[in-house]
Order: sequence, then C-alpha cells, then structure tokens
Amino acid sequence: MIQQIADALVQSWQNFATAFALFVPRLIAAAIIFVVGFVVALILRRLIHRLLASFQFERVTHRTGATEMLRNAGMPAAELLIAKIVFWIVWIGFIVSAVDTLQFAPFQGLVQEFFRFVPRFLVALLVFTLGFLIGNFVWRATLLAAVNAGIPGARVISGAVRLLVIAIGVVMALEQLGLATAVVLTAFAITFGAPMLGAAIAFGLGGKDAARQLLERQFKENRERESDAAPHL
Amino acid sequence: MAVGQVDILVGLPTLNNAATVVNVAKAIHVCFTRDLPRPRTVMINSDAGSTDGTPELIRDASFLQGDMVQTSHSLRTMHRVVTPYHGIPGKNTALQALFAAAELTQAKTLVVIDPAGPATSAERVTELIMPVWRSEVEFLAPRYRRHPRDGAIITQLVRPLVRGVYGVEIDEPLGAEFACAGRFASNCLEQDIWNQDAATFAMDLWLRTEAIAKHFTIGQIWRPATAAAAPTTLRQAVRQVLLSLFTTLRAHESFWRTATNTATVPTWGVDDRNKVQPAGDWDFVALGLQARHDINEIRQLLEGVLAPPVFSRLMDDIAASEPRLDDELWVRIVYDFLDASNRGSAGVDHLADMFVPLYMWRAARFMSFTAHEPDDVAQTRLNALCDAFQRLKPALVKGWTVEV
Repeated sequence: MIQQIADALVQSWQNFATAFALFVPRLIAAAIIFVVGFVVALILRRLIHRLLASFQFERVTHRTGATEMLRNAGMPAAELLIAKIVFWIVWIGFIVSAVDTLQFAPFQGLVQEFFRFVPRFLVALLVFTLGFLIGNFVWRATLLAAVNAGIPGARVISGAVRLLVIAIGVVMALEQLGLATAVVLTAFAITFGAPMLGAAIAFGLGGKDAARQLLERQFKENRERESDAAPHL
Repeated sequence: MAVGQVDILVGLPTLNNAATVVNVAKAIHVCFTRDLPRPRTVMINSDAGSTDGTPELIRDASFLQGDMVQTSHSLRTMHRVVTPYHGIPGKNTALQALFAAAELTQAKTLVVIDPAGPATSAERVTELIMPVWRSEVEFLAPRYRRHPRDGAIITQLVRPLVRGVYGVEIDEPLGAEFACAGRFASNCLEQDIWNQDAATFAMDLWLRTEAIAKHFTIGQIWRPATAAAAPTTLRQAVRQVLLSLFTTLRAHESFWRTATNTATVPTWGVDDRNKVQPAGDWDFVALGLQARHDINEIRQLLEGVLAPPVFSRLMDDIAASEPRLDDELWVRIVYDFLDASNRGSAGVDHLADMFVPLYMWRAARFMSFTAHEPDDVAQTRLNALCDAFQRLKPALVKGWTVEV
C-alpha cells in the first residue's frame, strides 16, 4: 500500500518534472518573444512617428480638421496616434505568439485568429478614419455654405451633419469588425431613423404653417441681406 | 476674314451687352476714322455666347456719316470682326482670344474696352490708345476718381494689398479696361494662367500684377467713374476677389517676396475732381451686425486659420460695442489668410468663404467709423491703410517662406 503511494508520488513527480522540463524552454521562448516583440514594436513606433513627421503628416491632419478633433478629445497628435496603434498591433501580435508558444489548450489557434482579425481591424480603422475625414470636410463645407446663405442655426445643422457622417463611419467600422453587428445596426437605425421620421412628420403635418412662414421669412431675409456688390466695387 | 497685319487692335469682349454695345462700337469706329486714320486698325468683338443679340447688333450696326462728326475718311482699310469663341465662357477665354489675335496680326497696341464702361465716346477710346501707341507705356490701367467711402473692396483690400505687397502705387487693380503693347500680350500668352480655375474672374488683377512683376512700363489714365452694374452679390464678389489674390500672389511669388521699393505710376488724362460720384448707399449697420453673427458662427474655423493673438484681438473687436478701426488687425487677418492659402491649411474655396464675413465686418467698421468725417480725413485713413499693408509685409513674407 505504502509502496503504491510512493510509486504514485514518484510517478507524479516524474510527470511534473518532465512537464516542467518541457514547459520551461517554452516559457523562456515566450518571454524572449514578448521582450523582442516589445523592442520591435517600440522601434517601429519611433520609425513611423519620424517618417510621418518628415512627410509633414501634421499638415494633412491639420487641413482635414483631425488635429483639432483629436485635441478636443484629449488624444495625442495624429502621427503619434498612428505610431501608437502600430506599436500595439505589433506588440499584441508578438504577445499572442508568445502565448501560443506556451501551448495552453484554451489558447490554441489564437495566432491564426489574431492574424485573421488584424486585416479586419485595419479595414475598420480605415473606414473609421475616412468617415471622420469626410465628416469633418462636410461639416466645414456645410457650416460655411449655411453661414453665407444666411441659414439660421448653421452651427447646429453642420454639427448634426458631421455627427451623422461620423456615426455612419463608426457603424460601418464596427460591422467590419463583426462586433455585435445586429445590435449596432438596430441602435443606429433607431437613433437616426426615429428622430428623422418624427421631424419629417412634425414638419409635414404639425408645423406646416410654421414651416411655410419660416421659409418665406428666410427667403425674404436672404433677398434683403444679399446686397448688391456694386457699391463695394 | 483675313485681316493681315494691324497696328492697333481694339478688343470688345461681350456677354449680353445689347444695351450699350452699339454706342461703344460706334465710338470705336469714330475713333478709328477721325483720330487714327493712318494706322491699320481692327476691332474684334469676342462674344461669350450672348443670348440678347449682342454680336448681331455689332455686325449690323450701321456707322452712318452722322456717327462720324467732323471725321475724315480712314486712309486704310478698317475691319470689324465678330467672333464667338469656343471653350468655357469667361473673361480669360475672351482675353486669350484677343491676345492671340494681337500676336497673329502683330498688333503694336492692344486695347480692351469694357462694353458696359465709359468708352461710349470716341475721345475716351482714343485717350486709352494713345499712350501705348506712342510707346510711352507698355501697360495702361484705368484710374477712377473715387469717393473715399466708395468701392470698399478696392479701398480696403485690393488696392492697399497690391500697393503694399507689389510695391507699386496702382489705384485700380480690378478695372475691366486696359491698353497694352503687343509685347505684353505675347508675354501673357506664354504664361500658365489661362486654364486655372480662378482665371475666369482673376484676369483683371493678374494682368496688372503680371505687368508689374515682369517689369513692363506701367501707366494709369483717368477715366470717368461709371455706375457699375452689379455683376454678382457682395459675398460672391468678395470670394472671387480673394481667390484672385491667392492666384496672383502665387503666380508672382518670386517677384513680390523680394520687392522692397514703392514705385509711383505716371497718370495720363485729366483728373476731374469735380465729377466725383457720391459713395454708394448701403446699410453698413445691418452689414456689420450680420458680419458679427457670421463670424461668431464660424469662429471655430477662424481659430484654425488666424494666429492666436490675431484671433483673440478679432474676437475682442467683435464683442466691442463701439466701432474701432484697427488697421493693423485687418492687415494681419488678410496676411494670415494669404499665408493659410499658401500653407494649404484649408482649401482655398473654404478660405474664401471664411473671409467673406471678415470683409463685411471691416467694410462696415470703416463706413461706421468714417460716417461723420470729412472726405479728406477718410482719404487720409485709406492712405494709412496702404502704409500698414506695406509696413507689415515682412510678416507675410516670413509666413510665406516658413514651411510647416
């Protein structure tokens, strides 16, 4: 009986020792991958930051309004933000590889999943960026057009347009990522569809007369304010 | 029609000028027959697609003896060419056609007449031709005796800017009429301006600044001020003027960045001070209120264009109840916009749109401030503004040079 217990203990110890002997090199390899990944990501981050700075990327972001938007959101400058995103993508890739090296059953196939996710993430990022840039451009154009046309509430109108365009970008990006697609789309449809429908019904039925008066007044004011250029030339 | 070589080519670019064009064409005809019988002359009407029968009116105009009071018959063949031009309608296309015609016919003198302008008498046409024909000058621009409170786009923006930046005391950088030597026309044809987007409305300014930048001899001639027809709304006019300034400054960057002197420009003709037209009547109080509202609406955009101290001062001024006339602030605003167009911190169309309320604010401020001042005091203020543009030019040059 005692002998059997001793054998079991020895066997167990031998199994543990064998497993440990097998695990330690993997752990060391994972640690190396982790550290090397950090260094590589750091180098890439600095390289990309410098590259973007040398190509005067700030000029582009300033022109598109991204600089101002990022500043308002308490985010770093665009070139630094891009460098940081690259840093994290690269380092997370290395971390996933390191975890995969450890061969933990629950994390099997993580690397494949990660590399399947990265392109989707990049496309989503691109979609979001485009939505943001287009939103800002449309905001600027709408604001200036509305101000110069004498439309009241120009800031509110242009802000709403910007919000709508950026929201569409966000929804498309989330759809690309496959994150709660149904929920996001439904929320989007409700958020924008309901007020629009409500406004349309209110404008068409309830505020028909008020709308007519508003438009008449607006056109009249426009005619009055559109002064002739002749005395200025 | 084969015209052959000519000495003097008078161009008449038209677009729906039926109301005035016959009188102008007759004046040109009388000028040719009475005042210039010896030179070979031709009048070319370059029409941009009038729908009111303008070309037909010119073609069919019968120049009777009665139109030629005290004239002798011309000693040479006189031609009248009416031609519709192809391409996108615009002043640039019309002028390009006239310049090309001047080069083909080896014209020594090219005169472009405003079909709605003051040249409804032969004397007015002749006086525009003669200084160039006599080789006294290579580019002759009209000069109008204005009331100091008239033409605020000219007096508050274009004139002081061109004087300050180009260093030449030219009065009317936007006039529609001019006369030039054939050499100048050939020079213009070689330039890369004709197909640019802003060329449709920037040509008047560009021609004058091109003459300055290429060191052609320049002169001015007193012309009677006419009540200008309103070609467009105020906002569109300001927008077009600013886009013209962006275009011309870019075109002549190498010249004006190094120009340091201020050259006076000789003036021909008679300055009839007694015929100064009263200033145009417009509601500057309402314009000022509108400008204040619009500037507040776009303040977020302006913050991205103007230097922080300039933006801050502008906002203080907008908030002030009493009108102030801060020339330096106005000049810095204009220079910041020019700088922004060069740096590309926003599209030029958006910059022009942003500038419109600022001009309205400045024009309203000037009118309000000088409303009860004598004319000579208002004129002194205009001169001081020109000086301010010149004094602060180094800021523009510095901003233009520094790459972001």
